[in-house]
Amino acid sequence: MKMVLMTCLRPVGSAGGPPVRAMLRLHLWLALLVGIGLLGNGSAWAGVRIDITKGGLSPLPIAIPAFVNLSGAGQIQESGVMGSQISEVITADLERSGLFRPISRSAFLQMPDTLWRTGPQFREWRLIGAEAVTSGAVRQEGDQVVVDFFLYDVFQGTLIGKGKRFSASSRNWRHVAHRVADEIYTRLTGETGYFTSRIAYVTQKGENKKIAMMDQDGANRIELTQGNNLVLTPRFSPNGDHLFYMSYETGAPRIFRLDLLNGSSHLQGDYPGLNSAPSWSPDGSRMAFTLSMDGNPEIYVKTLSSGHLTRMTNHTAIDTSPSWSPDGQKLVFNSDRAGSPQLYVMSAAGGEPKRITFEGTYNAAPSWSPRGDLIAFVHGGGGRFRIAVATPEGKNMRVLTDSWMDESPTWSPNGRVILFSRQKGSQSQLYSIDLTGYNERLVSVGGDSDGSDPSWSPLIR
Amino acid sequence: MKRFGWLAVVLLSLGLLSGCGSTPKGGADDQAGADGSGGRGVGRLGGSSSSLDDPSRRGGAGAYRYDVNVEPEHRVYFDYNSALINDKSAQVLAHNAGWILAHRPKVQITIEGHCDERGTREFNLALGQQRADAVVRFLVGQGMEAGRLKAVSYGKERPLVPSHDDSAWSKNRRGEIVLR
Repeated sequence: MKMVLMTCLRPVGSAGGPPVRAMLRLHLWLALLVGIGLLGNGSAWAGVRIDITKGGLSPLPIAIPAFVNLSGAGQIQESGVMGSQISEVITADLERSGLFRPISRSAFLQMPDTLWRTGPQFREWRLIGAEAVTSGAVRQEGDQVVVDFFLYDVFQGTLIGKGKRFSASSRNWRHVAHRVADEIYTRLTGETGYFTSRIAYVTQKGENKKIAMMDQDGANRIELTQGNNLVLTPRFSPNGDHLFYMSYETGAPRIFRLDLLNGSSHLQGDYPGLNSAPSWSPDGSRMAFTLSMDGNPEIYVKTLSSGHLTRMTNHTAIDTSPSWSPDGQKLVFNSDRAGSPQLYVMSAAGGEPKRITFEGTYNAAPSWSPRGDLIAFVHGGGGRFRIAVATPEGKNMRVLTDSWMDESPTWSPNGRVILFSRQKGSQSQLYSIDLTGYNERLVSVGGDSDGSDPSWSPLIR
Repeated sequence: MKRFGWLAVVLLSLGLLSGCGSTPKGGADDQAGADGSGGRGVGRLGGSSSSLDDPSRRGGAGAYRYDVNVEPEHRVYFDYNSALINDKSAQVLAHNAGWILAHRPKVQITIEGHCDERGTREFNLALGQQRADAVVRFLVGQGMEAGRLKAVSYGKERPLVPSHDDSAWSKNRRGEIVLR
């Protein structure tokens, strides 16, 4: 059982739910107002839909048959494998979200080619309990892969939205599949999907730590540093094409900026003492970070174009781990000025920080949700460190995880899922959890490698 | 609080070198600096007027007693979530300062700050920096040149003991004096 503190739960607010959906047989039992712009987004269609403003996560049964493979002339080819692979990627994405329950292909009564040619036999999909069904086709056009897909409401017997076409270079076929998964997620939840995104992290095998990156589903892993130096805390830029990270390659902890497009890496200043905890401003123009050159660790903001440095905090305690509000107006950070590490919020223009956490003896490593409504952080107490969320005012704290040493929370681009690292013994792995506290999943970094310090990218489109 | 506690320890130790064999220059300066300090043990320091050029002299009359010809452990330990130099660590650091000044007068020295594995990576990097900086300040207070000392935090990245209990943690919360 997950730790979900009931005090945090608020009733579904004034957004005014859609009409009662008789066909939506979801047994939703925790009302948790987390959706933004979900209810009443103007969709004319009022059929099958997941209400993800509610917790409990009773997933929606969905059928995702193999996409058919088409020849250049549009004929169905029996031989292709791409269509099946694409539907497998979509299936895995949706299943992992915890909001969908893909039905096993072996249960399907209608074959993909007749589904594609004639549309769904809705009665056959109803029989196996599917509430939504997809139909899709894939073909090659030169070095491009082109995917067409349709989504149907099984009980109303209608299309959900229009058919849609995606294409990409063939070697990026997984990206096309993730686009389809995002589209399904959006049409059935009302929220933006997050499957076309990446994770930067630190991978460790033996003593060597390297900066690495992979797709959010663990595919396409790539190592970005050589492993000669200790490296820590990669952080995606808001447009997803750069990383800040820490490296000891000069012999001291320094911040580097890695260009993901050409692989080059550059030192971001060489201030005496500790240079750590880089965080991009949402507009990408500034970096908040920690320097100890004034005698103890303080928060600074650096304008990247000019190099102009502004000291933000002034206290003899430790101030570190800044994170920006999505509007760029505020910073949250942790400080032990009150005797133990606690979270503080201050204006990005400067001023007096305001303490926002009062429960527990250790609240640190805050990460402001891209939706702005919550801050995720590490909550310590009783010798354990767990992932928690609270509002930017520090209200409604909920502890989401239940382990010994969880840290480094980072948000999915839609502010729905939190990725973090978990240490068990001497091993560290990445995990994701829905912000309701359900659906905790291991996110494999492959083989016998350790993973830590995750940073979730924005949508990569 | 932290600052004053540290200051008292430094003041305590200032006269020490005069009693335990240091470079004449540093020793003379430090002895002068001890005058008027109100910390415990200061009175006893006044009686320590042994010859500064005798590195073999065993111990001093002050708070810190050590044999300057015995190489000290180049490592000190800290309390949980603290960068304060405790009495035990002050003793070891004083011994290090005396020994280094006597036997390694030229080498560059890196002071590494380390933490146990509990808590966040970034907070521990900051805490490790505070520990390393505290050691540097203490050693400078013992007469070492600041220019020879460089503080580097490794946070919780380099545990000395790779297990996960109080015993391991107490050894991992440390400052390391690395002679190059």
